[in-house]
Amino acid sequence: MVLCLIALPIFAILGIFSVKYRRLVVESLECLFKTVTFQKCKSGLDDRIKSQITGKMLKFSPSAARFFYANYKIISLILLIVFIWSGWVGGVAIYNYVVYGNCNGPDSDKFCILDPTGAGSATCEIPSNVGGGEVITPVKELNRPLIGNEEAELTIIEFGCYVCPYTNEAEGTVERVLEYYGGRVNLQFIVYPLPGHEFSYESSMASKCAEEQGRYEDYHRALFAREMNFNNSTFIEIAAELGLDVGQFETCMLNNTYADEIEKDKAKAIAAGVKGTPTFFVNEQIIVGPKPFKTFKTVINGELGLSWWTKFLDR
Amino acid sequence: MFGFNVDKVRKDFPVLNEKIIYFDSACMSLKPKQVVEKMNEYYYKYPACSGRSGHKLAKQVENEVDLARREVQKLIGAGSSEEIIFTKNATEGINLVANAISWEKGDEVIVSDKEHNSNLIPWLKLISQGVVVKVCKGNEDGTFNMKNFKDCFSKRTRLVAIVHVSNLDGVENPIAEIVKISHEKGVWILVDGCQSFPHKAIDVRKLDVDFFAFSGHKALGPTGVGVLYGKKELLNKLNQFIVGGQTVLDSTYEGYDEELPPKKFEAGLQDYAGIIGFGEACRYLKNIGFREIEKQERKLNELATSLLNGKVEIIGPLDAALRGGIFAFNIRGMKTHDVAKMLDASKGIAVRSGAFCVHSWFNARKMDGAVRASFYFYNTEEEVKIFAKEVEKICELV
Ligand SMILES: Cc1ncc(COP(=O)(O)O)c(C=O)c1O
Repeated sequence: MVLCLIALPIFAILGIFSVKYRRLVVESLECLFKTVTFQKCKSGLDDRIKSQITGKMLKFSPSAARFFYANYKIISLILLIVFIWSGWVGGVAIYNYVVYGNCNGPDSDKFCILDPTGAGSATCEIPSNVGGGEVITPVKELNRPLIGNEEAELTIIEFGCYVCPYTNEAEGTVERVLEYYGGRVNLQFIVYPLPGHEFSYESSMASKCAEEQGRYEDYHRALFAREMNFNNSTFIEIAAELGLDVGQFETCMLNNTYADEIEKDKAKAIAAGVKGTPTFFVNEQIIVGPKPFKTFKTVINGELGLSWWTKFLDR
Repeated sequence: MFGFNVDKVRKDFPVLNEKIIYFDSACMSLKPKQVVEKMNEYYYKYPACSGRSGHKLAKQVENEVDLARREVQKLIGAGSSEEIIFTKNATEGINLVANAISWEKGDEVIVSDKEHNSNLIPWLKLISQGVVVKVCKGNEDGTFNMKNFKDCFSKRTRLVAIVHVSNLDGVENPIAEIVKISHEKGVWILVDGCQSFPHKAIDVRKLDVDFFAFSGHKALGPTGVGVLYGKKELLNKLNQFIVGGQTVLDSTYEGYDEELPPKKFEAGLQDYAGIIGFGEACRYLKNIGFREIEKQERKLNELATSLLNGKVEIIGPLDAALRGGIFAFNIRGMKTHDVAKMLDASKGIAVRSGAFCVHSWFNARKMDGAVRASFYFYNTEEEVKIFAKEVEKICELV
């Protein structure tokens, strides 16, 4: 009778394609009903499945068949538990994939079978972050420059690095998000210069030196526009292109003027439990890796109260 | 004589390959190619009415149906082809007799305690008309008890309806003697020949039975064709059952003239392809020869019995020679349907399980049923050995 429970959804799905299984759906339903009302299944579906499996096993290993036949009740109970568990996990995974583009949810970089290459979850690892400890969700800092509309009602906080390929990959999506919400959403970018990545520190410092001259947003975008093609003269070149005071900029770079700031940014990332770049915080919600636009949209809509379910609840 | 060669015979049955072991012939026999081709001949060459129209095709159908009727007549030793009524199946033949007799309140019908529902329910249905159904009990091992049978007769006994060979355990009832006793008492006798006709030579005149019903589908024939043999003078006395087209010579708004047998009972257009195909099946059976068929079945049943006796509970007498082609059994502690399912799943062995329409017998014994392997001449000893081995494995599960 336990097997009816398993059989029901399987046959229900197969039943969509074939009448043969539709009949079995009815049988499993009947069996299920009888089971919950403590009656005996009339259709004997359970027995049929048991005999069918035993018969098939007899062909290969009579002793295994004997074991199965003798312990059928326990085996089917275990099967049922595994089935319900995997059904639950599978359901959650499918939901996550549909909603966030990753089986494990937006804040995961773990393997997802629906996204086998893992492209949507990859990040540039921050090796120093051993995890543990209390996680402090980062909040918008008023004295830190914003990308996009200053007046926006929602701020995405991104931990990224200008030389991280995944941060770069996410950049297009981020810009699309800012544009899509037409000023309702902006971004605060916290740089995490990845150790062992050439120019990671220089690019971070350059963005801060541009900020000194009030041109942070333009410089930030110009850095991404280079798509990681940096050399020793790139940062001066960008400064010149943007019409900054190149002398002041050069001094700032040479003196490592904002080294403390950068250390503070790094500490902030560690405190927030960020394990790789890019990682996004949308209030309490976390998005890890260059997830698709859809993922951002789902999360942000939720935060802005634009989701169909929030609309539905408001009604 | 060429002798019987099972490998050669099996080539006529396309469904027989190494993936299936067919041991359910008591329910439905397989069909040789010749039968299917003969039916196709009807559909391809002369798919017309018989009897009503005068054109060439109709004449051809009439001719083929007539030949088939004669084929059946010869095979069962009937005196005239007019004594052969084609029906849908054996059940319809038995119902015909049950409905065509003018019953009077208090009339009695004697049946055995091992009747298939098809030879029990039509009589039980008559109880509402005041008919009394008497069940004569057999011996413990399933063989016939003549004394009990004799004791069942009374002045009001009108009919004996009894199975020739039981589909439950394969036991053959001593029909010649049963007929003799019935006739001494002036009682008509109908024999359910479903399980005898396909397996042994039948001579209805020698047996002196009054009615003999059987199905074509258990005897290599197509589905949907059965036969009721009846002695001509009795058929003339019977009322009509299903009436309409073909069953009358003439009609007015007020009434009609009955046809003569067999047409009197064959209402509406018939299953011509089936009848013609069944004629071919009779030819095939005759060519194989019932001696060979019986010999092969006995050999197989003896082998199965020797391999499995003591391991399973055999239904009926232990002596395989008394059980024809039927090997019905139970495995202690195991449900019959489970056993059948396992045999099917493991080695593609097709057997019947449950009560095989003899519910009354199992109910009286508070049994759920049994597993039945039924052999036919196209089965092999090799198949029986595989079957026995699988059954043994299943026995070890409990
Ligand atoms: C002994 C017996 N009688 C009657 C029948 C019924 O035959 P039919 O299906 O042709 O009506 C069967 C077939 O299962 C049978 O074995």
